[in-house]
Amino acid sequence: MKPKVNIVVMVDAVGALSDRTLHQGNLALVDDSPYGSRNPGTPELVTTVLPGQVVQWTAIHVDVQTPVEIHQITFLGPGEPEHAPPVTRPDPGYAAVPAYAAASGVLLAEPETASQTAAPPSALASNGLENHDLLVWEGIVPFTMAPGVPYRYRLSIKIHEGPNSLLHVDTPALLRV
Amino acid sequence: MAQQHGIIVLIDVDNALQERTLDGNAYWFDNMKFLGSTGEGTGGLVTIVPGAYFLDGSQATEQVLNWLPASLGAVPPTVPRNYLAEQALQTDRDALAHLAAVGAGDEAEVGRIKEEVGVRAKQSRSAKGIPTAKILDATGHVAGSDAADTYNYPTPVITDITGPAVEQKIMYPAQYGSPDMIYDGWYWAATVDTSRPGIYSYTMHIQLHELVEREDGLVWQPVDLTCTSALEVMTDPKRNAFTGAGLGVLPLPEFPPVP
Repeated sequence: MKPKVNIVVMVDAVGALSDRTLHQGNLALVDDSPYGSRNPGTPELVTTVLPGQVVQWTAIHVDVQTPVEIHQITFLGPGEPEHAPPVTRPDPGYAAVPAYAAASGVLLAEPETASQTAAPPSALASNGLENHDLLVWEGIVPFTMAPGVPYRYRLSIKIHEGPNSLLHVDTPALLRV
Repeated sequence: MAQQHGIIVLIDVDNALQERTLDGNAYWFDNMKFLGSTGEGTGGLVTIVPGAYFLDGSQATEQVLNWLPASLGAVPPTVPRNYLAEQALQTDRDALAHLAAVGAGDEAEVGRIKEEVGVRAKQSRSAKGIPTAKILDATGHVAGSDAADTYNYPTPVITDITGPAVEQKIMYPAQYGSPDMIYDGWYWAATVDTSRPGIYSYTMHIQLHELVEREDGLVWQPVDLTCTSALEVMTDPKRNAFTGAGLGVLPLPEFPPVP
């Protein structure tokens, strides 16, 4: 078993901010899973994993001088609110309603209405300002993960700062093979 | 990896040449205010360099700095570099065409053509980065008889970066080749050692160019001046974003989602 699976998050920051969406080619997800992942190069990437593997997400900014960091990764539960995973904070970032939820017809969890109990990971640097570069987005795939079911996650990207700096997609997933 | 820093050094060339100092005539600007840079747009910029280290103490980020000089009142740096050269060539062609059409003894017309051709300046041997000999104004047109008043200042040229931040090996500046002809195909960049937090100043050596009238005509005379800025290096530990500490299990939902 390959001990680690890398998921690289490539962001065209200027394109994403102008379009106010990570879709339309502004985000590309690629992984190095040996078990055949689906939709590489798109925000709909489904990464195949095995329990015990470490999955790490890394953000790469296509334009080298734009600050692009992963702000949050939250796994989405089924539609029922009581099973919805805790979401750390409401996401004020996007202006347009993402079209993919309607297009796919899949009932996604509404994370905004879910309980907001868990504290966000602190990205505070020693000067008191947020520096998301300090956060390492990696974790072990649990053995409790059900095989054959894609676990979708919300990938939230922070570009610089301010009210419009947060953008997210709900389309990528992990799949236990 | 954090993004690269851009640091603009904007020089009020006219005032700097008159006062022979960059104190009060240099304006610094970087893109790191949101992480704690201070003094943007002033002569007292302190650029933040937010470093990170892994739990074993090893350095986790390599910060890259890029410096770009700019001149107040010049043709904007976004205009292609060869614009001035093309303009100079074009005015020569126009003048030749007009000269062919001029009648014998038409002194007024010859005088007008002389104006059209403009004046050329020699380049002092130590001057760097002068794109064209012909003297053009800030709009790209030929500077006429009043050339010394209206001419376009060449972009300031960074010739060296020194000072405590370099001597103490906090940053390693060097001049690199670049495909970007806006800066003559060269630019200054540095990598920063973020393992030693603190504030470190550095001195930027900048060459300006003054149009001087000598016996043998106009000459671009280099004027070397310096200005200072500082880096504030800090360093913080990397931590796992899911657990806030070390590596843990991914926070998957308790029940598998319905596909």
